[in-house]
Amino acid sequence: MTALPRLSTVLLAAITTLVAVLLYSPLAVPIVSSFFTIAHGNVDWSSPTLATYVALAENHDILAALRTTLIVGVCTVVLSVVSGTLLALYYHSRRSGRSLLQFIIFLPFLMPPIISGLALLIFFREIGLERSLLTVVIGHTVFVLAIVYRTVLMRLQSMSRTLVEASYDLGATSWQTFWRIVLPNLSSAMVGGAILAFALSFDETMITILVTGTQSTLPVRLWAMMRLGFSPDINALVALILMFTVLLCVLAARFLIPRQVATERT
Amino acid sequence: MNQNTDLLTLRSVSKSYGTVPVLHDIDLSIKDGEFLTVLGPSGSGKTTVLRLIGGLEPLTSGEIRLDGQDISRMPINRRPFNTVFQDYALFPHLTVSGNVGYGLSVRHVPRKEIARRVAEALELVQLGRFTDRFPAQLSGGQRQRVALARALICQPRLILLDEPLAALDLELRRQMQEFLKSIQREIKTTFLFVTHDQEEAIGMADRICVMQAGHIRQLGTPHELYYKPNCEFVARFFGENNLVAGKLGSVQGELRSIETALGRLVCSISDQPHLKTAADGASAFAAFRPEALHLADAKDTDNRFSGTIADMAFAGSSTVATITAGADHTGQRLRLRMPSRVDGSTLKSGATISLAFAPHEGHLVLA
Repeated sequence: MTALPRLSTVLLAAITTLVAVLLYSPLAVPIVSSFFTIAHGNVDWSSPTLATYVALAENHDILAALRTTLIVGVCTVVLSVVSGTLLALYYHSRRSGRSLLQFIIFLPFLMPPIISGLALLIFFREIGLERSLLTVVIGHTVFVLAIVYRTVLMRLQSMSRTLVEASYDLGATSWQTFWRIVLPNLSSAMVGGAILAFALSFDETMITILVTGTQSTLPVRLWAMMRLGFSPDINALVALILMFTVLLCVLAARFLIPRQVATERT
Repeated sequence: MNQNTDLLTLRSVSKSYGTVPVLHDIDLSIKDGEFLTVLGPSGSGKTTVLRLIGGLEPLTSGEIRLDGQDISRMPINRRPFNTVFQDYALFPHLTVSGNVGYGLSVRHVPRKEIARRVAEALELVQLGRFTDRFPAQLSGGQRQRVALARALICQPRLILLDEPLAALDLELRRQMQEFLKSIQREIKTTFLFVTHDQEEAIGMADRICVMQAGHIRQLGTPHELYYKPNCEFVARFFGENNLVAGKLGSVQGELRSIETALGRLVCSISDQPHLKTAADGASAFAAFRPEALHLADAKDTDNRFSGTIADMAFAGSSTVATITAGADHTGQRLRLRMPSRVDGSTLKSGATISLAFAPHEGHLVLA
């Protein structure tokens, strides 16, 4: 690319900065204010404190919701990674019905969550399944499956077919080829997909509200807290979730860059 | 290792993808211990032959026999053959030694023996220092050698090589050609080497099988193919050649005449009985190599004609003259190759010269 004239470079930098500030500064507000006390609805900027974090740690409702979120997240990840990988393998092996299958997998991800949630709710009632964490896990898995499936399938499709042929050629059985060649080459895509699935499950609110029983996950709890009024521990909670999400994104990016590119740099 | 016994035989092997036929009734015998090259332009079916032998594709009809036993339906992982793939197909998540030892490890060979044989194989391909590298950390030539070590460690009866040198640059390709040939001599294993590069084929092969459009056109030593091509395709494809169309004339011992636009030419037909029995007046080509064509002198009584030099091209050790010959010096284009001289060629573009080739250096090809 040829270099832009100096003026337009400066202008471009200014616009980029402006957009970044407008878009992302609201995110900084709760993080900053989480380190100050709030009195009568106003932030008291004079005394930085960790009091909100202490209050959060003592809020048993929040801690219970966090625990629920983690349980749901882990169960969803296990379920969606196993089934997403199997579905991707099925699709890749070019058997019949695969385009219909792919359509069905993508449908819940693209539909408005309230529709997916209602459909699931009606379904659970019809088959007589009590609303519980199990129904939440099922709901989340249906929702995030498309992401894991897509991530694994893309890796499968970029994998050279001759790798599998070479494995057979060297005397390996189908089972050995799967465990020793296919799976290791998918593993980083599976980890990346798992992190994305966990992040999505962690955030999911609409489907969760509709299909959960008595227990609430963190976003649902947060929503309930907001309805009752602004409380200082919300700032702390938002700040923690934000940091956690950033960490997940960094991890996902790390695993989704193919190994070959990574090692070539060293 | 007896070079006269057949290791592998293909009998009327055909292959179609859907309704598209890619191989028609192929018969081919591979001798034990030989270096056989399958040569052909892209789309000739040469890679398909290799994939059928390796078991990567099922036959449509015919059979493949190993030591006389039909192995057409033997699964790929049971066949005692190993392949060096065009893209090498090294496992990116395994180290060099992991890749090379894979064939032994899937057969549950004890760890100690795997380590010993991996070290031996890597020594053979001169990669002893690279055991712990990953494929992404190797150069093209090194990957190529890992792929070779991985194929030969299982001591296969036959090593199949699918254009393994195509991705390398010219200098490296030359080195690898010599290297492959020397390894083949050392381990005395049969090599089936697929390529579209005829220079590569001439340099390495004991025998060459020329393929075109799903048929085998000719099978023979490089020398036979070069000097006794049996059809127009081989005569044109295999090395530079001058082909002059004409009608067959009379037979005189080991020579036969042909009437062409350059007049009556006489060519050798020794060891080619089908040319002796071909009918008078049948369409054919006189074929003679650019290096066989020379400026005529008093000794040349046969195969004399005149031509005009259209172009002179210096090509290092040799210089190639493009000549228009024939009745009015326009019809037939010929090439003449002569050794280069430091003080330049005595021939100049536009000059009209008298040319000749010796009858025993000319050959006939039926049209």
